[in-house]
Amino acid sequence: MELRAGKNKIDKDVFEELCSAIGRECIFDSIEERERYSFDAANLKSMPDLVIMPRSTEQVSGILSIANKHNIPNCTRGVVLPGGAVPIRGGIVLDLKNMNRIEELNARDLTITVEPGVVMKDLQDEVVRSRLFYPPESGSEILSTIGERVAECTGGMTGMKYGVTRDYVLALEIVLPDGSVINAGRKTLKSVAGYDLTRFFVGSEGTLGVFTKITLKLLPMPEKTGTVMSCFKDIEGALDATDTILSKNHLNPRALEFADKTCIDAVREADNGKIPEEAEALLLIDVDGNEKNVTNDISRIDAICRENSALNILITHADEERNRLWDIRNSIFPSPSKIASVKYDEDVTVQRSKVRDVLKRIYELSNTYSLEMSVSGKIGEGHIHLNVTGNSADADDVSVHSLVSQILNSVESNGGTNISGLAPHESEIMKDLKRMFDPKGIMNPGKIII
Amino acid sequence: MKFFQKTKKEVNKHQKALSELIRVVGEERILSAIEDRICYSYDATRQKVLPDIVVRPADTNDVSNTLKIASKYKVPIYARGAGSGLTGGAVPLMGGIVFDLKNMNRIIEISPDDFTATVEPGVVTKELQDEVAKFDLFYPPDPSSAAFSTIGGNVAECAGGITGLKYGVTRDYILSLEIVLPDGSVINTGGKALRSTTGYDLTRLFTGSEGTLGVFTKITVKLIPKPEKILTVAAYFSERDDAVDAADLIIDNNILPRTLEFLDQMTINAVRGYTGADIGEDVKALLLIDIDGTEGSISHEVPIIENACRESNAFRTKVAETAEERDAIWATRRSISPALYNIAPHKINEDICVPRSKIKEMLQRVDRIKTDQPIYIANFGHIGDGNIHVNTMYSDDPGQEELAESIVNKVMKEVVKLGGSISGEHGIGNKKSQFMELEIPSHEYEIMKKFKSYFDPKGIMNPGKMFIR
Amino acid sequence: MTTDWKEEVSKCSKCGKCQTVCPVFLETGDESSVSRGKISLAEALRDKQIVYTERLREHVYSCKKCMRCRKVCPSDVDYEVIISALLRGVADEMGIPLMPKIIFRYMLPRRILFDLMLKVGSKIQRFIPGKRRGQMRHLPLLFMGKRWIPTLAKKTALKKFSTTRKLKNPKMRVGLFTGCLINYIYVDIAEAVVDVLNRMNIEVVIPQGQLCCGTPSSTMGDHKSSKKLAEVNREVFESHNLDAIVSACATCTKSIKMDYLRTLGPSWQQMSDKIYDISEFIEKYCGNDYKAKPIDEKVTYHDPCHLMWVRGITEEPRDVLKKSSDFVDMDMAGSCCGGGGIFTIIHYDLTLKMLERKVNSIERSGADTVATNCPGCIMQIADGFAGKDSKVKTTHSIQILQKAMVNGGVDNSDTS
Repeated sequence: MELRAGKNKIDKDVFEELCSAIGRECIFDSIEERERYSFDAANLKSMPDLVIMPRSTEQVSGILSIANKHNIPNCTRGVVLPGGAVPIRGGIVLDLKNMNRIEELNARDLTITVEPGVVMKDLQDEVVRSRLFYPPESGSEILSTIGERVAECTGGMTGMKYGVTRDYVLALEIVLPDGSVINAGRKTLKSVAGYDLTRFFVGSEGTLGVFTKITLKLLPMPEKTGTVMSCFKDIEGALDATDTILSKNHLNPRALEFADKTCIDAVREADNGKIPEEAEALLLIDVDGNEKNVTNDISRIDAICRENSALNILITHADEERNRLWDIRNSIFPSPSKIASVKYDEDVTVQRSKVRDVLKRIYELSNTYSLEMSVSGKIGEGHIHLNVTGNSADADDVSVHSLVSQILNSVESNGGTNISGLAPHESEIMKDLKRMFDPKGIMNPGKIII
Repeated sequence: MKFFQKTKKEVNKHQKALSELIRVVGEERILSAIEDRICYSYDATRQKVLPDIVVRPADTNDVSNTLKIASKYKVPIYARGAGSGLTGGAVPLMGGIVFDLKNMNRIIEISPDDFTATVEPGVVTKELQDEVAKFDLFYPPDPSSAAFSTIGGNVAECAGGITGLKYGVTRDYILSLEIVLPDGSVINTGGKALRSTTGYDLTRLFTGSEGTLGVFTKITVKLIPKPEKILTVAAYFSERDDAVDAADLIIDNNILPRTLEFLDQMTINAVRGYTGADIGEDVKALLLIDIDGTEGSISHEVPIIENACRESNAFRTKVAETAEERDAIWATRRSISPALYNIAPHKINEDICVPRSKIKEMLQRVDRIKTDQPIYIANFGHIGDGNIHVNTMYSDDPGQEELAESIVNKVMKEVVKLGGSISGEHGIGNKKSQFMELEIPSHEYEIMKKFKSYFDPKGIMNPGKMFIR
Repeated sequence: MTTDWKEEVSKCSKCGKCQTVCPVFLETGDESSVSRGKISLAEALRDKQIVYTERLREHVYSCKKCMRCRKVCPSDVDYEVIISALLRGVADEMGIPLMPKIIFRYMLPRRILFDLMLKVGSKIQRFIPGKRRGQMRHLPLLFMGKRWIPTLAKKTALKKFSTTRKLKNPKMRVGLFTGCLINYIYVDIAEAVVDVLNRMNIEVVIPQGQLCCGTPSSTMGDHKSSKKLAEVNREVFESHNLDAIVSACATCTKSIKMDYLRTLGPSWQQMSDKIYDISEFIEKYCGNDYKAKPIDEKVTYHDPCHLMWVRGITEEPRDVLKKSSDFVDMDMAGSCCGGGGIFTIIHYDLTLKMLERKVNSIERSGADTVATNCPGCIMQIADGFAGKDSKVKTTHSIQILQKAMVNGGVDNSDTS
């Protein structure tokens, strides 16, 4: 294993410049600190040269202009980066966790302005205190920061009904790679003056600039939320029920989560016997709205699940009980790794109407290759989370690779995530736009979003 | 009607472009007689500049070929939907080609299982709404021109409308675009899957770009389930601020109405004078509220809304359940436009947007600007999202137009001071380009111009719009 | 003319709302089809930026004059004033094509000559092969085109009812304005009007000497001819002492009730107030006291532009049909059938598209019969079904009522 950790590649002059610009106390250069921010990637251990924890927009601006001047690669991060910025080329890690002020929650305007390091849980708590609602929550990833969420344009559990992060970002303060600060968007619900810089930066994964202030749109809190958990003796039953709920009855649940048998079996210990042995699939559904809405929707969902021969149905309106049910779901993600070494882990999206076909293909391939797979996901949005678990003896890398690439082909041919990347022309355009903002390529160089 | 003065060289290039267009795109898709060009010289701003050529493409291929030729000869090109824009987006300020996309009006696919529809840009928005409604689906953006404006125009301007508070605006519903760039190349942005995110969000960069970056040839929109029922509440107030308070209180009660329309006294007087509508002299402000959802949910919300209005001193509320009753209430809103023309023959309709908490302040500032000026200002609009239409009405008398313009100028400055936007939904075009720099700081302005020159280095796409320098 | 078209064009705010209703724009999507485009052309003419040309004439003639746009216009532009000015301008500057001119100037004002011409036509048509269900190819004599139109009647309505059927103690005495299509082709409709009204104890006079209402000539911009016709008609109808004037033709009703106010001036107001569409008249004066036994037929109703959009009359014909048949509404009942004068000849392909829409709506309604209140629409829609060999019948709503009254044996007339 190559170890590039030892030497700090940052020149002393540059280091001094940084210190005088932003203060020594924000800069960490000990091996221990840097090690905490290093990652294993493809057997190449790499470590940042410096870790900086700025506290203000000015500091971020100072850091970037110095980094830009000296061509130092740069990546931002909050607390946890799922497969995120790996500082392969060393450089500076900007940890924004100290920029965690909630500047203003304006209940009248239904907006909240925060710094990027605010942890989602803190943001949610603040919002809930005002009886408001920030929909793009994300079940288990409550520890991630809003800065990351905006950078990744995540969806969360409620995407089907409430959309994704970009639908809630009204304005951004952004530090560009040259250290200049821009303000994109307006704190109004509508604004069409000029090009939509705000949404262009949302989802740019830290490759164009660093967000230092984020204004989000909020909604009034739905009065009530109810949960239905329904188990089915075959996958078809769960898919049929989903179709009936969404396409035929247009119930528009707040969340709808599917899990197959492998997932269920993995969480048996957590479920307290709530899931029958013969269950092959499970649906976990949330509906929200006012009291009458929730009661009405739940009874209709209940009836639909019954019609599709559900094995058992659990219904709850109580928050505590709801959390317990969702804990089961949340435990699905870490669980496969408990039972076997996960060989492959992928989130894909396809057109909603194609979920059935894609699942069929996944299980066919799983049989052909005798590789165990677990599938779950927000199938109402066409989202499929799949794990290839290496339980069988012949699960070598070659067959896993071949299996996965065949699955992804199927996904792509079903209008889904463009795995093979963008078409050449679109890809060129994005590279050009990246160069336009970051000509020296200092922003998140390890990140390949194009 | 104005004629853009061209140099000899430019005239020459236009001639060459025309003959090449006739050869490549086909004579039947090109209009060059002056009697035809006149009909493509204007939009709803009443500005008229005569284009040199009108091209009416039938498909992406025609669009691409036309752009290649326009690019080759550097002929300005102005994409046009229904020509119903309010900021001059479709007016061929510098002559050249008007690109009439009304003939590309097929609904390519409605996929009820995916909750998506794919259409060509010339489809009229209402037609899309009606077609998806047959599948119990709903395309929410609803500009008041929806019955005649096209979806292509709506995407180009990022149109809003009366459902914005609850359902957002056009950009929130665009999943994917097929775009022809000025060099004639075709790109596809986004994806039909609800969650596709690949690379930078070009879809939203082009949404609201007002035809200055490229021409949309295919648009995939997201649909949502159609609400079971809609019900209307009208609330009458004797003070303007009370109506604003009522709107706030409704939302404070965790209700997001489908529409929340506000009419001020000037507007109400105009409507009363025009339609003889039964609205008493004592009514100084009016809220028109639509709520939608299931039967149960609506019946739950109506009393809350009525209470909120009464608590805010509404002296009367009226609930309309049937289609006819609702229509009768909304007739008031619909008649605003003709009623205003009854006061004065011309209007400048600005669609400013401020944070909701600033509405009262904004209206007061408009009052102060208007003080004692011999002109009429009627304010109405989508109060829930802070999007107020400030209509300055002026006559043909000397000095009136200048006065109206100076008033609008002052209003814009106040909007920006209050952290608002100079345009909530109409776009910039050439009518508001002078105000862009009020709102957009110079660095951001330069970045926008960089996007423009990257995608359109020759500056042929809708020149004269959005940017003034 | 009270309103000056040159001022009227300035009222247009160019909002584009007329696009929502213009039946021609619906088909072409071409801005020159819709009122906003034509108003811009008028503006350019006013400002002397263009002159009358062949192309301009095409655009001016592409208006159906259905006046839907006038109804929805937020700026309240009187489009009729503008289009009339354009039509007159075309006629003045470019002249009227020879054939229509001869007809408008010399034949329409002279009943005998016109009768004679059509009589010759009706003789000749017997030798024309290829009739379908009573329809034949368009008369080459009058117009050109490839349309199916009905055969000419052997005896015109005016001749057939030259003497009034006297009632002993009539409730009212009304005059019937037949109009050309009913006079020469759909004599059955005139017969139904007389029969139905007589059964309601209303005496019907068909004043001899009445002429064409003037719409065809004003459509071609020949206002001189229109005025001449209006003056004759005024004299004829004023000479009878009538309680009301009815017409079974939506276009004639619009013309004599509304256009004459412009051609003849305010002195026509008193007469104008007494002019009714036939269904409008029946519902107003006999709505509660006539009985009929509904016929066993599914009947739907098509709204003629000139009744629905110009006069706002939609309910009365339906009320009549509901009392006399198994009534069923069709979708888009108010969409234009495409029929109507010069437009159908110059823009035949567009006419066909509109017709196809209409025929599809009618078929979707599942009706056996489509009724309407305009012989122009009847001719057009029958043309559509003749081409399709469909079983759907096209008729006037008054004919359905007549059948229902005969069916029920209702006769309140008091013959002397």
